[in-house]
Amino acid sequence: MSASQVNSALDVTIDGATTPIEFTYKGKRFRIHAVLSRWCEAGGWWNRISDGKYRPDDQARALWRVEAAPIGALTTFELERDELTGKWIIRNV
Amino acid sequence: MSFIHLNVASGYSLKYGTTQPSDLVQRAAEFEMPALALTDRDGLAGAIRFTQSCVDYGIAPIIGVNCAIAIKDINGGDSKGRITLLAHSDGGWRSLCRLMTSLTMTSETRIPVLTLDFLKQFSQYSTNVYAMHGPESPISSAIQNHRFDQALSIFNQTRDLFASNAIECVSHLVAGRGPRSTEHAARSLIFARDNDLDAVITNAVRMKDRTDGPVADVLDCVRQLVPLHDRHIERRNAEGFLKSSDEMISLAAEIARAAGERTPRALLKTTREWAERSLLSPQRDIGLGAAHLPEPHVVGVNTAQEMRTLLRARSEAGINWRYSSSDQISKARARLDDELATVATLGYESYFLTVADISDMARDAGIRVAARGSGAGSLICHLLGISGVDPMQHGLLMERFCSPLRRALPDIDIDVESARRLEIYDMVFKRYGDSDWSAPNNQSRCAVVAMVDTYRARHAIRDAGAALGLPGMEIDMLAKSMPHVRARNIAATLESLPELRRMNTSAPLMAATIDMAQRLDGLPRHLAMHPCAIVLSDGGFLDRAPLMSSAGGYPMVAFDKDDVEAVGLLKLDVLGVRMQSTIAYSMKEIERVHKEVVDIDTVPLDDAATYELIQSTRTLGIFQVESPGQRELVGKLAPKTFTDLIIDISLFRPGPVKSDMITPFLKARHGWSPAQIIHPDLYEILAHTEGVVVFHEQVIQIIATMTGVSLATADEKRRALGYKVGQQEVCDWFFPAATAKGYELPIINEIWDVLRAFASFGFCKAHAAAFALPTYQSAWLKTHYPAAFLAGVLTHDPGMYPKRLIVDEARQMGITIAPLDVNASDSVYRVEDHGNAIRIALSTVSGISDTEVQSIIAGRPYIDLNDFVRRSGASTPVTESMILTGAFDALHVDVNRRDLLLHLSDLQKSPSAAVSGAQMNLGFEPPALISSGLPAMTAAESVKYEVDRLGIDMSRHMIEFYGEFLNAIGAVRSSDLLKQRSQSSVLVAGIKVAMQTPPVRSGKRVIFLTLDDGYGCSDSTFFTDVQSEYANVLYSTSLLLVRGVTRRTGARGISIRATGAWDLRAAYESWSAKQSTLAI
Repeated sequence: MSASQVNSALDVTIDGATTPIEFTYKGKRFRIHAVLSRWCEAGGWWNRISDGKYRPDDQARALWRVEAAPIGALTTFELERDELTGKWIIRNV
Repeated sequence: MSFIHLNVASGYSLKYGTTQPSDLVQRAAEFEMPALALTDRDGLAGAIRFTQSCVDYGIAPIIGVNCAIAIKDINGGDSKGRITLLAHSDGGWRSLCRLMTSLTMTSETRIPVLTLDFLKQFSQYSTNVYAMHGPESPISSAIQNHRFDQALSIFNQTRDLFASNAIECVSHLVAGRGPRSTEHAARSLIFARDNDLDAVITNAVRMKDRTDGPVADVLDCVRQLVPLHDRHIERRNAEGFLKSSDEMISLAAEIARAAGERTPRALLKTTREWAERSLLSPQRDIGLGAAHLPEPHVVGVNTAQEMRTLLRARSEAGINWRYSSSDQISKARARLDDELATVATLGYESYFLTVADISDMARDAGIRVAARGSGAGSLICHLLGISGVDPMQHGLLMERFCSPLRRALPDIDIDVESARRLEIYDMVFKRYGDSDWSAPNNQSRCAVVAMVDTYRARHAIRDAGAALGLPGMEIDMLAKSMPHVRARNIAATLESLPELRRMNTSAPLMAATIDMAQRLDGLPRHLAMHPCAIVLSDGGFLDRAPLMSSAGGYPMVAFDKDDVEAVGLLKLDVLGVRMQSTIAYSMKEIERVHKEVVDIDTVPLDDAATYELIQSTRTLGIFQVESPGQRELVGKLAPKTFTDLIIDISLFRPGPVKSDMITPFLKARHGWSPAQIIHPDLYEILAHTEGVVVFHEQVIQIIATMTGVSLATADEKRRALGYKVGQQEVCDWFFPAATAKGYELPIINEIWDVLRAFASFGFCKAHAAAFALPTYQSAWLKTHYPAAFLAGVLTHDPGMYPKRLIVDEARQMGITIAPLDVNASDSVYRVEDHGNAIRIALSTVSGISDTEVQSIIAGRPYIDLNDFVRRSGASTPVTESMILTGAFDALHVDVNRRDLLLHLSDLQKSPSAAVSGAQMNLGFEPPALISSGLPAMTAAESVKYEVDRLGIDMSRHMIEFYGEFLNAIGAVRSSDLLKQRSQSSVLVAGIKVAMQTPPVRSGKRVIFLTLDDGYGCSDSTFFTDVQSEYANVLYSTSLLLVRGVTRRTGARGISIRATGAWDLRAAYESWSAKQSTLAI
């Protein structure tokens, strides 16, 4: 899956805070085995003014690079959570 | 366990932090954090309000500063960055203040940068504060470059210069390995562990919430004056906000884990220890609620007891100076005893003595000084010569000014000559200040006060618009359209302004600009110098407050006036008042011209001729009563005594106008309806204002009389009446208290209604009385020495009217206006001909500089224009203006002004012009001045040039040229208006001299227009119904013709309810066109 493709990650279960544990991808349930890294992104909001997509809250995003597997093969995923809405997406596989 | 943030920037990190200190404190309190640090960039200006918020929310303050540092690194290169200093609990605040003062006062660039040399020089302060080396520090850069050796070398350079050092681990969860990434935080932690250094975790907070990110970005760009772009903004994500304890603890765990530690316990424990060692006591450390007045030796004695004796001795000496009858003297003694007892209870002796010293210093230098504000209510102030108004004669109360029940320091404000205000600053700094800022432990007892300039609508739009790249034209249009409202009200204001409805404020960039501008609301953008406040304190002043250098070069405390008061620094307001300069000038002119010495301060306050002048409403130039509205009011009220003047000044304000206090007062005053005094016990209090409550002092006295409490208690009750909750409390107390004194319920009810209604509108009588004095003094001077007074008004420009109107006023009072003359005009307006003439000043010539004025005067006398051009140093445009306005007419009687202009141009072309001084006669003859035969200017042309080049129609009134037209259409001269019956329809013409839209009872906009027609002024009122049709011409034209209906407002008052207005010139032109058609 290329970087431009994003998929909604469904039914993400998290630990006590916001760290993801399990999610559903293409109809299969994945379990996260390891968080490889995590970071946060924001900014560039001024570039989205002219196309009317400007959001004054700046679209702060938290990202996890994780290893997860349905059953068997381990796969690397990038999960993104919108800090305002709490919505999750899968950014990279 | 709760976490304590040690690195937090508020909006007082100018153009960096996004949040008010109080909002950060509130959030920390919501998180149940026991303490919060404020470590603003470059200064401590937010410290006091932060501490006050901490008190309000019940958490402990920690205060530090984030400061630039420049040190040599291992390779000898400069290593720059920022470190955070924290005041520790054991005297650290004092050292931090001292350190910041020394840093800013010794810095040549005004940008504070710590250097090793500086830190060594002031090590006694620096070794008393803690240092945290965070993500912006030189150490952090070295760690980023994988140079632990370099990091250690930097650390070793500074380690002994601070009380303690810690490596600050910050992770904003930035991607990569740079500062603010988890990786970098972990490496910092490892560096600390390897070298056995303290390590703490902070979040380098600059926002309250994630959503504040865009505000931070805009501020980054505003600070650097650049448009928004990734490379201009500091943050990479939105994590630099005030996180909760849980968030910080899990962050600590992440950093610790990345550094190979099993738990974050050690990191959190050290952080906690650092916080606990830095907790400050708002009272003991910061000094909230204390008072620090100059010590006894400053006023020339050794002990507090001696100071008490000195104040008594000086006040008693004043009794014999101010009073003569034995009755007055004994009353004054009794009152003085009471006041001194109050002062002794409060320990404010040195306050009074210091202010008295300052006003004495000013007077000794020949500068006029007058008290203003409630200070005039104190007999001590009167006896010490601070205030000129007799508080006993005018029923002014000490309790309104200062009482044992009130903890706030009383304010004494003094009005001084505006032209010499800074001389007083200089004297104060010479006496109480110190200039050796390079010496540690220096002492200074005074500073000017800062004023926090915060984002309001206009600046917010400009800055947000520039950052977002909104086109300059649109920024300009939007910003200029804004009235002076808060930035957060921009959108609401835009909706209320019909003229802006056509702007497309929903275009994306415009909408974003408005949104971002609103979010800048109230953030500090600049520390300016307060226009008049000076603080005076004791030798410990520099231990309690940080100083910086103001733009004017005065040491300035980095706190604003409220902060200064909160930490008990005595504030003295020294206000420059142009009228005081005017009065001083008039007295000097009187002495020069008439060889008489007038001491205006000893003139009795009962001069009938003076009151007649005021009653006549010819009050142009007189302090406080010259505005159109005031002229109408003095016409109605007809002041006959000084008390009447005090009442007049008190009534002319929005409150009384809105609550219609004026009508019942005037009805009773003129005997149309009897004064209503509710109860005979109140007769004494209310008789002089016809039963109407006008003054705070009356409210205080009514409460005291009706309930039997002291005046001091009554003043507390009066203050409580000003707000809703207080009003209910006073109500609950007042009814039983007054009943217990035997008053009947209906009476109490009636009085309560009055108190409730007027308490918030009433005026401090002491303040009004202090203002009434220069009103009377200026009126007295205008009555008895009109030329000297109006020359003073023209020179110092104290009022609201243009010079041409004052010149016109002089002309109408029979004073000759002597024209501009190259050999006779001075830099200022001089009285000539034994007080019968005023000479136009050189400074009036448009575009003339002070240097030109001085060099023209120095070269006098001039024998002709040629001589002037050679020696005066005046520029050609100025010389031209002087020719056109007749400055050379007296030197060249044979030729006219056009000839002189030609001659000037010849002189410029002649080779002699290039040769200066004595050499010029060798061989070069100047061109001859001969009449060219050109016709002289017409009177109309002369006046046109006078108005253009001087701003004054000097030779005759501009309206004169329309005389024939105005006669033909039957316009009424303003001096004949009083002869008109009420309700008659009239036409008036004139030059617009004032146009105001003051507060009126109904709240609707009313335009008051004053026209001058050379015979005086007429006042017209435009109500809403005629505004739509005529407002445009009113705002765009200065020569106007007005139609309206007269209305008598009193014996000397008449005003016009306007029904139409036209451009006088246009009306004249269409009339003369018709005339010539008829003639043909």
